[in-house]
Amino acid sequence: MRQGRLVATGAMLAFCLFALWQSLLLSLTDRLGPGPGFFPFWLALIGIVLSLALLVSIWREPLPATDASIEEVSILPHGWGAMRCFAILGLLAAVTIAMEFVGFRLAMLVFNAALVIALGERRWWIIAVFAVLGSFGVYYLFTTWLDVLLPTGQFGI
Amino acid sequence: MEALGHLLQGFAAALTPGYLLYAFAGCMLGTLIGVLPGLGPAAGTAILIPLTFSLDATGAIIMLCAIYYGAMYGGTITSVLINVPGEAASVVTCIDGHQMAKQGRAGSALGIAAIGSFVGGTLATVALVAVAMPLASLALKFGPAEFFALMVAGLCLVVGLAGNNMLAALLMTVIGLLFAMIGVDPVRGAPRFTFGIEELYDGVGFVPVVMGLFGVAELLLAAEKRQTHMVEAELKSWMPTGAECRQSVGAIGRGTVVGFVLGLIPGVGAIVPTFMAYVLEKRVSKTPERFGKGAIEGVASAETANNAYANASMVPLLALGIPSSPTIAVLMGAFIVNGITPGPFLFKEQPQLVWTVIASFFVGNALLLILNLPLVGLWAKLLKIPFSYMCAGVLIFCVIGAYGLKQSLFDVWVMLGFGIVGYLLRKLDFPIAPAILALILGPMMERSLRTTLEISGGSFAIFLDRPVALGLLAVPVIVIAFLLFKPRSLAPLRESDIE
Repeated sequence: MRQGRLVATGAMLAFCLFALWQSLLLSLTDRLGPGPGFFPFWLALIGIVLSLALLVSIWREPLPATDASIEEVSILPHGWGAMRCFAILGLLAAVTIAMEFVGFRLAMLVFNAALVIALGERRWWIIAVFAVLGSFGVYYLFTTWLDVLLPTGQFGI
Repeated sequence: MEALGHLLQGFAAALTPGYLLYAFAGCMLGTLIGVLPGLGPAAGTAILIPLTFSLDATGAIIMLCAIYYGAMYGGTITSVLINVPGEAASVVTCIDGHQMAKQGRAGSALGIAAIGSFVGGTLATVALVAVAMPLASLALKFGPAEFFALMVAGLCLVVGLAGNNMLAALLMTVIGLLFAMIGVDPVRGAPRFTFGIEELYDGVGFVPVVMGLFGVAELLLAAEKRQTHMVEAELKSWMPTGAECRQSVGAIGRGTVVGFVLGLIPGVGAIVPTFMAYVLEKRVSKTPERFGKGAIEGVASAETANNAYANASMVPLLALGIPSSPTIAVLMGAFIVNGITPGPFLFKEQPQLVWTVIASFFVGNALLLILNLPLVGLWAKLLKIPFSYMCAGVLIFCVIGAYGLKQSLFDVWVMLGFGIVGYLLRKLDFPIAPAILALILGPMMERSLRTTLEISGGSFAIFLDRPVALGLLAVPVIVIAFLLFKPRSLAPLRESDIE
């Protein structure tokens, strides 16, 4: 946990440093007053000071006990919890890529079925009904009733 | 009197079949979201934004507000029946509500919660009608310097009152403000931090960010733990007895006052009024030993304060344009998505819209009471929905919400990225609320500050010449200094205080 907080604060410090550099590429002031770089420059500077203060504050926190459990030390999921989290993220990434090529309905059909199977469902007929309703049904609801455009993919499906 | 006239016109619009339907649908969906453990009002409101894409602005706002207070009530059902708060504000309800359920009085607990929520919400809306317009009229006299100071004060109060880790909250605010800088500069029109990516010219979309930070992140946290819920309590009746109602009258009155007053202060958060109302009720009770063992006043006070807070927190949003909590920030984002900027000009430029929305709060509170008393049994059955289906259902809404606004798959990737970031930040105990508020207020803050400095020729001394701006800027300084150096006896409320 302590290590994770240090890494996260370090990442925020790097982000603020990057923002500071980028804001310096823009004009800080012009003849009308503050320029596009003015506000981000000061924000990035304040962010750097706060990140450094937070890094020091976390550094001074007591170290975790040697007999601490993995849940207390690590912030990353483990065991079946990790499998479920990675299944959700992996399938979400896959459906985002697939939607562009095969459209919302086919991508969501596979996504829904794969996700409920990955999360423990085994009754095939429930999986099939849910996958169809969650893809073709939802597409019909949103495009016909709610006027929301959803991707149709390269095959127009 | 002027407000009353506007309100009557608002009622005339809010009671038309279309807007009634939106309020009804919002209450139903909000309660559904509140019932499902793991999805709070902020996540619920965020993931249901796509349902409002095709509605007119008034209808969209009515529906989203109804989702918000529906979700606030929905959390009560799980608190009472299975001792799992559907959202943070319902933690206090678990204490006596679940004890009542164990004694076979779940129906009484849920009934008094519905009645208390209705009374608290309705009275808070009456007070909103009285307070909002004068406050907005006062704010109309503000210049850019005062608006900048007001936004700084609002943000700092959120940071100061959000929790113990103030340094992390301040840093998260700055990170949120920096993300708000992405896109075309609002004053000069120059692109900033876009790196040639066309999708970033409009800035980072608020909807994909909140869907990631709340929707996806909360699902990942729930998937890691994989909680399964079984309804333990049996519902014999859904109405409290006459004696129980009499016992709760004082608690409902006090809960309303506590909830309303705290709802006006940005950053207090929904949990504080419920804790304070509960502690107050225990202190004034002649039999405090009953609290924690199924005292109906405990449920009534917490639930009334919860809904009074939810309605009162609309005052800073509608009158000043300041969101006081993450859920209100999501609502503000929805206002902006629909082309409406909340704040004092709203009352002047779009009175029909704002008063219709306020009238819909009364309608929504009444609908919640009518719906929730007889439908408690149905909501309880929803607790049996397996996590896998809930997860897939929520993710479908997240994908549609992120994609639907601009028809951009880039926004779906933004949602996914912020989902991972939100999950990690929650686990590392970094507060997300300040970043959300900063993201939404960032462009307005920058515009106000730069206009102020253009007026003053670049001199910050202008803030010293404007007493209101100076006073507003002093508020966060005093609050943060007080919180840093407060005596130990004034430590924030904790769960141990109510045990």
